[in-house]
Amino acid sequence: MSNSQFNDLNRSASSTSGRIQQALVEAEINFATGVPCGVLRRVIDYLVCDERVQHVIVNRESEAIGVATGAYLAGRRPIVYMQNSGLFAASNDISSLLIPYRVPLLMIVTLRGDEGEDAPQHLVNGAATTQLLESFRIPYTVYNANLDIHDTVLDLFKQAAATQLPTTLLLKRGWDKT
Amino acid sequence: MDTVSDDDIIIATTGLISREVFERFDSVRNFYNPGAMGLVSSIGLGIALSTNRRVIVIDGDSSLLMNLGTLVTIGYQQPGNLLHIVINNESFGSCSEERSMSGSVSLSGLAAQANYASSLTVFDEISLKNAILETVGKLGFVDAKIELGGRRDFKRPLDLVELKHRFMHQLKGEVSS
Ligand SMILES: Cc1ncc(C[n+]2csc(CCOP(=O)(O)OP(=O)(O)O)c2C)c(N)n1
Ligand SMILES: [Mg+2]
Repeated sequence: MSNSQFNDLNRSASSTSGRIQQALVEAEINFATGVPCGVLRRVIDYLVCDERVQHVIVNRESEAIGVATGAYLAGRRPIVYMQNSGLFAASNDISSLLIPYRVPLLMIVTLRGDEGEDAPQHLVNGAATTQLLESFRIPYTVYNANLDIHDTVLDLFKQAAATQLPTTLLLKRGWDKT
Repeated sequence: MDTVSDDDIIIATTGLISREVFERFDSVRNFYNPGAMGLVSSIGLGIALSTNRRVIVIDGDSSLLMNLGTLVTIGYQQPGNLLHIVINNESFGSCSEERSMSGSVSLSGLAAQANYASSLTVFDEISLKNAILETVGKLGFVDAKIELGGRRDFKRPLDLVELKHRFMHQLKGEVSS
């Protein structure tokens, strides 16, 4: 996997993807699971390649919610990643496992279907994503270039710990171009 | 249940299976998945990858069919401390006993195809007990065929946060790297 044309861990520490990686190291993340989205390439690179992180591939986002919950119950510090389409696919698992059991973990979710979206299948999800999170009362931040992504991620971990709820970082296409 | 060792962790699936395990065999070593139908084996996998203790997943046939990809995920990870038992009444017993499709497929055959190291079908309690005693140190699957029916009035696990805390507390300090 490390020889994939998509993998390059030699990124600058000051790049957005370098800063998010730094935040995950500081938060002592040691377990990750999810379903890929092209927009998350640089996050997944890190999670797959860093030996401090046990990375578990799954077939559906629901499985990721279950596997991460198990890891959390056993004292690990997991994160979950997915496309926002997967957030909808796993919505019952979030609302009937993570929330009632108060499982605090960060979900890194891409926000497809935003302005400039060229793929029609994402539009309905794109318009409903923050509303889904709000209706579940899940804290979230939509990243934009005016924010420091390192501080944003650490703040979401803090909010997860304080509320004992899952929190969500929403990343739009192009988030890592800054 | 008396076959399970004092050290084993039990994770039970959605519906009457969780409720029966909770009412009759509750323990700090148990965790219940009343809501996220299908995910009991995924939760068990996350735990099994994070502890050296044996994790026994008590799944239902319809629950497994709802998350069938889990067999591939678990077979791929190959946790030697996971035993995946399916209580198979070939039905959605917790609903109105509607038939599921598990009578038309060999669940243990699917698990074997997915690289479970041991995969059995059992038809009585003695064989189930033997399977639990013998499947140690390797990834195991047991399709336990049972008659449909039985009590429906088991009490529900209600204080989920408290159940979580006591479960995490007993597991604490056990984390493998
Ligand atoms: C996502 C979802 N769909 C439907 C239900 C309703 N439901 C609760 S238990 C159950 C059937 C479980 O069947 P099985 O796993 O075979 O166990 P059994 O009840 O037969 O013991 C269903 C469909 C649910 N809880 N969640
Ligand atoms: Mg059934």
